[in-house]
Amino acid sequence: MDKKRKFTVLTELSLITCIVQRGKANDIVKAAVLAGAQGATVYFASGSGMREKLGILGLAVEVEKEVINIVVPNEQADHIFEVMYKAGKLDTPGMGFIYITPLEKATTFIPDHVVEKLARKQEQES
Amino acid sequence: MDPMREPTPDESPVEPVRFGEYLRHASVKYGEIRYGDLSTLGPRGKATRIGVTPRHVLRILAPYLSVRFGEQLRAVLPLALYLALFQALILRQSIIGSLAISLGLFAVIVGLMLFMEGLKVGMMPFAELLGTELPSKLRLRVVLVVAFIIGAAATFAEPAIGVLQSAGASVAGDRAPLLHALLNRHSVALVLAVAAGVGLATILGVLRSLRGWSLKPLIFATLLPTLLVTAYAFLDASGQVERIVGLAWDCGGVTTGPVTVPLVLALGIGVAHAANRDDGFSGFGVVTLASILPILMVMLLGIVLLHTSNPAASPAVAGTSDVGPSASGLWVAGMAVLGAARAVLPLCLLLIIILVWLLRSRIPNRTITFYGMALALLGMAVFNLGLAFGLGSLGEQVGSIMPAAFQNLAGIHGSPLYNSALGKGLALLFAFFLGLGATLAEPALRALAMTVENVTNGAMERGTVIGAVSVGVGLGITVGVAKIIWGFSITPILLVGYAVLLGMTVLSSEKFVNVAWDSAGVTTGPVTVPLVIALGLGLGQASGVVEGFGILAMASLFPIGSVLFMGLLSDWRMARRQGLEEEVEEELAEASMMN
Repeated sequence: MDKKRKFTVLTELSLITCIVQRGKANDIVKAAVLAGAQGATVYFASGSGMREKLGILGLAVEVEKEVINIVVPNEQADHIFEVMYKAGKLDTPGMGFIYITPLEKATTFIPDHVVEKLARKQEQES
Repeated sequence: MDPMREPTPDESPVEPVRFGEYLRHASVKYGEIRYGDLSTLGPRGKATRIGVTPRHVLRILAPYLSVRFGEQLRAVLPLALYLALFQALILRQSIIGSLAISLGLFAVIVGLMLFMEGLKVGMMPFAELLGTELPSKLRLRVVLVVAFIIGAAATFAEPAIGVLQSAGASVAGDRAPLLHALLNRHSVALVLAVAAGVGLATILGVLRSLRGWSLKPLIFATLLPTLLVTAYAFLDASGQVERIVGLAWDCGGVTTGPVTVPLVLALGIGVAHAANRDDGFSGFGVVTLASILPILMVMLLGIVLLHTSNPAASPAVAGTSDVGPSASGLWVAGMAVLGAARAVLPLCLLLIIILVWLLRSRIPNRTITFYGMALALLGMAVFNLGLAFGLGSLGEQVGSIMPAAFQNLAGIHGSPLYNSALGKGLALLFAFFLGLGATLAEPALRALAMTVENVTNGAMERGTVIGAVSVGVGLGITVGVAKIIWGFSITPILLVGYAVLLGMTVLSSEKFVNVAWDSAGVTTGPVTVPLVIALGLGLGQASGVVEGFGILAMASLFPIGSVLFMGLLSDWRMARRQGLEEEVEEELAEASMMN
């Protein structure tokens, strides 16, 4: 088998990471998907920060967190970022934190016909 | 398609811009701040307080409170509505004191909310810490003693245990003197017996976590003596011991409430972690033992009392003590607050003493822990108040006029409302849906079902577990209500039922045994238990039977059966599928041999 394996990677994408209190991730993911995100990964974590700075009010902030990871195309990144910020009410103290990381490349299952179609389009353009 | 690429002059004269790119620059204005500027504002290593405006306080507290309030609301409201509707539509009676009951229900919800939060913030971290530190710092014998004390103290803090004590007044003293004595004169001994049972169960649970014992032999070792004592009660000539069977088996359901279960579980899991023996099942089983052993203890206490003192000699006491609990609203309120203090404070003190004095460690997050304990105390007091005025009185009201559906009841116009068969049928149907609904709403069951689905790799789905347990509780409550209506003895049902369960346990795999036996304890939560006891007692009094206990006992028996049955069914299906596959393979092999 000397044949070169074809390997398609996706480029120009970003990772949006959003850390919220346990139980809050579901709504934010839903909002992000409505805004165009393709999917999301949620995992459990525990964290500190605002809880300690709020005094007695900090008790209302869960230590247990959920971390949402969403990979988005660059041009959608800011839009989804804003939607998630609003859905999570992150402008309230203790509600969470969100950031965007640039990604170099990524890959996953990409349907063959999509790859072909995009390749043809590229040929036409050039 | 690199967006950073400089446009070259030989490309098309119109420069294409991506719409998304355009939006990004045009739609939102970002104000930028260097994070370094923000994070160097405060002193290093120490949290800086952030001043919040009242608006922020509201925005922080609103979701925090609404989630917790909603949780309890979902558990309490449907039940209360169901009871009220049943009373209004089927029994055609207006609810007496509906304002007090509504306020009481509200108090139950708020009280539960505060209590649970206090438990979570103040006591759970404590118990986990104890669980991990105890085995590493103390010898096994001391650990077991401490486990016993914690288990017993948790029983005192159980919200439903107070209901048992207040239930004593409604028992007919002349016909069931032993039961009456147990609930009135010896009520402290009764609670102590229950606490001792839970304490023993905690010891066994800790040992099981440490040594990795299988649950099956433990069930046999504890249940067989209990059944034997129950059988003795059934055969006892005086007939007095049999009167306490219902109470004793109800105690099993009462003990496994919102304080004992998480506290004992946290302890067990901590120990299992310390012993490096956490297989995902070590948390199970303690709940089961904590339901079985108190039954044995209460039965033994009853028998001892019967032989040492002569309860039949003092029926005169009955008259005086009956007046007590219904004296005045203020008195009830005082008792509620006092009861809360008596329940929560010893447990808190005990935990602190063990940690500081025995383990010589410091209390973690002192302010938060004390805040949690204060919250638990406050919550318990409010809950007790609500129970006395709201949930309890609603349950008792419905229970006491339910017989009007099928028999003539003084004070209710036009009773019997239906003919005997229809009325009794309606009452049983009511009981079934009460059990089903109460269990479906139980948050602890949801958690159990999730664990089950995870541990069995999806062989037992969440929905099926919840369904099986709920139908089981529904059936159980139906049988319990039938017992009160027709006044038959539940002892044979208990004996035969548990004998069948033991048989099924032998056949089942260890995994299902763990889940099934625990499901019984889990289903009887802080809302269901007081409601069902009040209902049973009201019904029992109105229909003139000696005692109205036993509904909870039945409500524990049936779900165990239904979950075990489901487990056996799924095992059998799996085995049959494997058998079929083997057969097919054999046939294929034969076919290939022929060729």
